[in-house]
Amino acid sequence: MSDTPTTPIEFRRYTQNLSPAIPIAIQQATGQFFEKRNARVAELPEWELLRDVGHRLRLHTLEHLDAYLEQAATSLSAAGVQVHWAMNGAEANAVVLDIARQHNVKTIAKVKSMATEEIALNTALQAAGFQITETDLGEFIIQLAGLGPSHIVVPAVHLKKEEIAQLFKEKLGVEAPPDPEQLTAIARARLREVFLAADMGISGANFLVAETGTLVMVTNEGNGRMCTTLPDLHVAVVAIDKVVPDWESLATLLKLLARSATGQKLSTYTNFITGPRKTKGEHGPRELHVVLLDNGRSRMLASPLTRETLKCIRCGSCLNVCPVYKQVGGYAYGWFISGPIGAVLTPQLLGTKIAAELPYASTLCGACAEVCPVKVPLLDLLRHLRRRVAEGDATTTPIVSPVLRGVARGSAIALGTPWLYRLGARLMPLLQVPVRRGNWIPSLPAPLNRWTMVRPFMPFRARFRRWWKHHKKNE
Amino acid sequence: MTQNRFPNPVLDAVRHSLGYESGAPLPPHPLLPSARAAGTPQAEIALLLQEIDKVSGHTQQLTTHNLDTALGALVETENIRTATVWNTPTLQCLDIAGRLKHLGVTLVPPDAEKHTLAQCDLGVTEADFAIPDSGTLGLLSGPEKPRAVSLLPAVHLALLTPAALRPDLHQVFAEAQHHGYLILITGPSRTADIELTLTLGVHGPRELYVWIFESPGE
Ligand code: SF4
Repeated sequence: MSDTPTTPIEFRRYTQNLSPAIPIAIQQATGQFFEKRNARVAELPEWELLRDVGHRLRLHTLEHLDAYLEQAATSLSAAGVQVHWAMNGAEANAVVLDIARQHNVKTIAKVKSMATEEIALNTALQAAGFQITETDLGEFIIQLAGLGPSHIVVPAVHLKKEEIAQLFKEKLGVEAPPDPEQLTAIARARLREVFLAADMGISGANFLVAETGTLVMVTNEGNGRMCTTLPDLHVAVVAIDKVVPDWESLATLLKLLARSATGQKLSTYTNFITGPRKTKGEHGPRELHVVLLDNGRSRMLASPLTRETLKCIRCGSCLNVCPVYKQVGGYAYGWFISGPIGAVLTPQLLGTKIAAELPYASTLCGACAEVCPVKVPLLDLLRHLRRRVAEGDATTTPIVSPVLRGVARGSAIALGTPWLYRLGARLMPLLQVPVRRGNWIPSLPAPLNRWTMVRPFMPFRARFRRWWKHHKKNE
Repeated sequence: MTQNRFPNPVLDAVRHSLGYESGAPLPPHPLLPSARAAGTPQAEIALLLQEIDKVSGHTQQLTTHNLDTALGALVETENIRTATVWNTPTLQCLDIAGRLKHLGVTLVPPDAEKHTLAQCDLGVTEADFAIPDSGTLGLLSGPEKPRAVSLLPAVHLALLTPAALRPDLHQVFAEAQHHGYLILITGPSRTADIELTLTLGVHGPRELYVWIFESPGE
């Protein structure tokens, strides 16, 4: 829905005039998802092992992405799928438009997908006169309302049932009581017509298995199945980072995904589609196209750190635990993806000029990195991107300089070893003699002068232990 | 794999970023935790039924003797008037279509046109696989097993025998990966999109019935 931002994303300004309904709804949703996720994770004693395998598996795939992509393309073609490559969103949209025109398509049924949101495919198709309907219940509702999604899994969570009933009355002309079940029934009937009439189904994919060229799609409502089973033509837009080597790897990733996303052992429907239908009676599309989308990802592969961003399997766990996201919801992040993963992906795809505020939309508490089922190093990425905001996108310097890392390690050892600490405390007053001016340290030599540039330091005194001993004696 | 089988800018950009010699043999990927081991058949069946119930499915253990009673009850509770049944040997052997007709239900061929299938109250299929641990059914497709039968009708009835049981996803995948289509079904269609209230039957079937037959000879 939200088109690609071309002006800076104003995260802070947005958060200042936030409707109070948003944090309440978002906290309810995230709390519920997180609780369910925890229950599922607790059932699996091997969760950490699974996570570790998930992480290594994703990294391995990305490190050899050229080979796996080539294998995927070969398998897709062998299965009768037409493969297209798109360097960016404009190219991908042009491919989809072409296919739609060639087939004289009029109406399109669409399953929500991150890749199509990223390239604003709906806007492109609508501008070209095609009628396109989002068919996930939540997406359908926000499309009617003309809003963007506020949560990755439940995009309309910030709307109350009364508001939805009102919306259905205005936009669909049906009188409905504010009851989730009846509202769902209305949407079901309306969307049935869309599914049965559509000439073309558009989807993304959660995974693409290189070994066999299989598209894997995970849904709960069943609209994904409708869009990929009923129309004669199916186009899937798949980002190149969705590739998995084989079905063995897929099994591990599916276990991680369903548990992390919605706290289910498996989502209600998991589809595995290899090629178009073989006989008409079997159902399924007669023609299947896959558009493999780069859109900035190949660039991210170049550095070992930014590459790790692409391990993400879009489960939404990091959103559910993020204290910032829970206060502001999805809109503030300005694009199709929000929360910690949005804060690291958007600046990398759009540049830190446009997304300068996003790496700062975090307290760096680390909860996100801890729950991530494939161990995306969200914290390291946030820090790296803050550096890029300050120094420009060309910066490849590591997040922390080796010197600083050494100092941090050293002080960790010193603070953790009592005798070393005492020794240090004795030495410090002597070491600061050359820089001390009375009761202040006005400036330090480089590179430490960065600390004193803004304000002078108080000299180090280390009197606490002495004071404590004294205090105890006087009690 | 040859280097320029797919000459295209995306692959070139990926290769450029990775800086690898393309076409180098792939090292083995990380080891996976071993799949879950199966319990006794009885334990597996009990677990399957329990897990399906947890995800709001209706389960029953049956023999051919009480099949008519069960079908009669289903037709009545769900108010079934039209139905469609897969043409698999097991379902034909059990004569599901004949029995339904006998109960006054109109039958539609499973490969009928989508609009016709959408009017059906009941779709009957046979699960190729069942994973007890998650309460999941696996269905393949083919000319006699059309995909929309488990999707368009309001109620989905899946029959299975213990032969369909598999301990884990890994075994299902090992067998299913060379078929053109596999759908894993875990409970009826669901959403929590409106105020996080769980609602069944948003697009797919609103009810899922799973009937398991005892092994022949038991
Ligand atoms: S970064 Fe990790 S936790 Fe966040 S959506 Fe991606 S996979 Fe899930």
